[in-house]
Amino acid sequence: MPEFSLTAEQESLRDLARKFARTEMAPKAAECDKSARFPEEIYRKAWELGLMNLNVPTEYGGSGLGALDQCLIVEELAYACGGMTTSIIANCLALEPILLGGSPAQKSRWLTPFCSEYHLASFCLTEPGGGSDAAGLKTRARKDSEEYVLSGEKCFITNGPHASLFTVFATLDPSLRSKGVAAFIVPGDAPGIVRGKDEDKMGHRASSTSTIRLEEVRVSRDQRLGGEHDGFSIAMRTLDQTRTPIGALATGIAQAALDLAARYSLERKTFGKPISEHQAIQIKLANMVQAVRAARLLTWHAAWTIDRGQPGTLESSIAKCYASDAALRVADEAIQIFGGYGYMRDYPVEKLMRDAKLTQIYEGSNEIQRIVTARELLRQYG
Amino acid sequence: MEIVVLIKPVPESETRLRASPDGRRLDSEGVRFVLAGYDESAVEQALLLKENVPGSKVHAISFGPARCGEALRAAIALGADAATWIEAPPEGSDDPILAARALASALSSIPYDLLLGGKHAGDDEEGIVVGAVAELLGIPSFGSVTDVRPAGPSGLAFQRPTEAGIESWETSLPCAIGLQQAWNDPRTAKLPNILRSRKAPIAKVDWPTVAKALGSESSPRSLSEEFRLPAPRSGAKMIEFQTPEEAAEKLVRLLREEAKVFP
Amino acid sequence: MTPTVLVIAETSGAAVAGPTQEAFGVARSLAGADGSVVAVTIGGPSAARSLALLGPKEIWVADVPPESITSGAVAILAAQAAEESRAEIALVGGTSFGRDLTGRLAVRWGAAAATGVTEVAIVRPGALRVRRPVFGGRATETRALTGPRAVIALRPHAFPEAPATGGAPPIHVLDPSLLSASKGGARRRSLAPAETGSGPSLADAAIVVAGGRGMRAAENFRLIEELARSLGAAVGASRAVTDAGWRPSSLQVGQTGRTVSPQLYIAVGISGAIQHLVGMVSSRTIVAINTDPGAPIFKVADYGIVGDALAIVPALTREIRRVRGLSET
Repeated sequence: MPEFSLTAEQESLRDLARKFARTEMAPKAAECDKSARFPEEIYRKAWELGLMNLNVPTEYGGSGLGALDQCLIVEELAYACGGMTTSIIANCLALEPILLGGSPAQKSRWLTPFCSEYHLASFCLTEPGGGSDAAGLKTRARKDSEEYVLSGEKCFITNGPHASLFTVFATLDPSLRSKGVAAFIVPGDAPGIVRGKDEDKMGHRASSTSTIRLEEVRVSRDQRLGGEHDGFSIAMRTLDQTRTPIGALATGIAQAALDLAARYSLERKTFGKPISEHQAIQIKLANMVQAVRAARLLTWHAAWTIDRGQPGTLESSIAKCYASDAALRVADEAIQIFGGYGYMRDYPVEKLMRDAKLTQIYEGSNEIQRIVTARELLRQYG
Repeated sequence: MEIVVLIKPVPESETRLRASPDGRRLDSEGVRFVLAGYDESAVEQALLLKENVPGSKVHAISFGPARCGEALRAAIALGADAATWIEAPPEGSDDPILAARALASALSSIPYDLLLGGKHAGDDEEGIVVGAVAELLGIPSFGSVTDVRPAGPSGLAFQRPTEAGIESWETSLPCAIGLQQAWNDPRTAKLPNILRSRKAPIAKVDWPTVAKALGSESSPRSLSEEFRLPAPRSGAKMIEFQTPEEAAEKLVRLLREEAKVFP
Repeated sequence: MTPTVLVIAETSGAAVAGPTQEAFGVARSLAGADGSVVAVTIGGPSAARSLALLGPKEIWVADVPPESITSGAVAILAAQAAEESRAEIALVGGTSFGRDLTGRLAVRWGAAAATGVTEVAIVRPGALRVRRPVFGGRATETRALTGPRAVIALRPHAFPEAPATGGAPPIHVLDPSLLSASKGGARRRSLAPAETGSGPSLADAAIVVAGGRGMRAAENFRLIEELARSLGAAVGASRAVTDAGWRPSSLQVGQTGRTVSPQLYIAVGISGAIQHLVGMVSSRTIVAINTDPGAPIFKVADYGIVGDALAIVPALTREIRRVRGLSET
């Protein structure tokens, strides 16, 4: 039998995230969005409370949470601000390759000092030449006796301007395609790291994004994660783990849009009655709540699958793709319900639509998610 | 210093209130109970004192139904060292004097120098328990207190805002203090501490033990008979006017003659 | 039945506190024609003389130095007066001191107790029914108190102050040595009197004047403060105001600020977002002043004025000063 109720422990984790989201994040969401400010004070506080390195085991100083626990927290944070949430959970993405591919020695060397203080890390996979074509990386890793020399350019790197640790994917031999990719740990102060300017984005403006150029960055052999041919697999397995929280992030945005729209519909009057009494609005709200609930359940199901030790590739692709599409649709409908006010920057709904849009694009675009979904689906018939 | 904090679970602030089917009390079905805001201030005060006075311990105590466990765990997550749940009678009780008697009886076997509580809980707002416990224990008590600090080798200094002004007090220990909310910014429990609090032991004093200790005082003398929500407001009487002066004059007249709220 | 109702009076010099005068009104109606009202206070002869004007049948007084007045001490003296007067009901004014006293006195005197009471009735001998707001005024509960004895703290401003009737009741002086039994070495070190003109605190005020975004600029907020001063009211603010830094967050009313339920709440330039409404909706009478006739605040208000706050508020302040006979300052 499915069990949809949360444990008391999960409820208390969600309470913590909700309280943090409402008291720390929400009051600054509009301001950070308007001025594209990176609210470091909020991220620092998130770290202090244990809301940042959610997936890192407690033995290395993280919170050691499972996928469902992470999703409960991420949804609450995203309800207040999608952009801030992206920056807060970027460490989970960046550190996952170390958790998956690192030796015990590498984990304690890199994770323990990193997690014992406030630090940001960035996951460096995407390149200007192609976001989702992880097998076709242009960034080169050249072997030089006991070291590797990394050269190339990574783009759309979350927290890039602020990160003190990078996990970088580079190819030792492009002709080997996915088999040529290796993963590396690169400290933020390594010579040859050049950070690009903070990008001016449509949404997620409280998060910071830049290119990271690697100019002959030397890393030692013990900064390589797994074998020389394991990078692609590490990257893919990382995304299997982190895709589901994006579903939760999108669900949080969608829930915020639904709440704003439903409340407004009870206040706003046209033709002599609250617009909530018009069926046109009721049908919109019904569609919205269906989408939000479905997004949440798909996300929880994917997380539950992963928590049972399965890869959850199909489930997480469905969840991320569905929830992000739902978020954009629900935010769009929320603006429609707000009418002209919804289009105004003084009202909080248009931000939700801009923030929702990114969830369809990053951590594997929804086109890729559908390809993965279809592939996993057909595998069951083939 | 042995600091005992009296806490109480109350419905989450956003709870939609409704009466129970018998109409006598709040319907607690599906309601989430949390540590009261005033109690969070009390726990914060206890932790500040503990940080100030080496060797101090903080013990959270709660009288009521099983849901006290969640409030006690919240106190542990914030930093309390121990927790005790004192079980209420199975039929429930919201008589604050009975709660005070049960708490005082449990305190006969729990060491304390200082009892801290919220000024009143966010639900029934009685504000009776701290003073009543103190009377039962024969120690001084003070309500609506802010800013408690150690004073001298075994005393405390604190402030007490009253209608007349701000009083400054010093007291010897043991004593009981009811705290004003929101004067200190209560800390938020960190995630690892929340996880740890789930596994922390909670001592329990069951109701038969409490009832035996209280003897003839174990039956409540204050019983809830009806819980009622106010009728929704029907909308404002709008004041028509030509000039601001006319609006002001009409409003003041209505407030004096109709609403009778203005002298 | 002929109950004897004891009012635990708060006096300061010759002044009788407003909540005590409210308690006298309630005591008279509970006592009815056959019962009697008696009083006890901590104070000297002038306090007893002022109290006598409210018409109690007998008065008990104890002169305790202000720095030693604790709830524990008052409970001892009040319980003694209750025993001597054979009272069944003790009424306490709705002050912070009154609330502190209630639990102690109830235990000492063997009584049931309730605080924040807005209605009280004797159902039958030894049984009372009280009504009191709960959940910040979002609901009310009725409680049955099992006597024969009960201590009841009234909600401030819930009852009218009793008019003086005059009288010369016998005055009994309580023996201060009663207090030698009380334990603990508590001492009041100092009292910093409330600043004159600073007004009542937001939580306790009978009237609150709150301003919102409709005040348009920080400097206009003084209009709110002037209106509050003319009414003897506390000043509140919406979140928009405190977020903008016009006023400190301690003035914020609402979900993330304070919950208030005064007799009169005047919301000026506040649209009435749900987060604000939960903090003030239990106020007895609500006045809304806003330019937008569709603002949700008008749905919860009793009286509405659609207009510009910057024009209406000064006119309102002038009108209130006029009717209250205050000079323009």
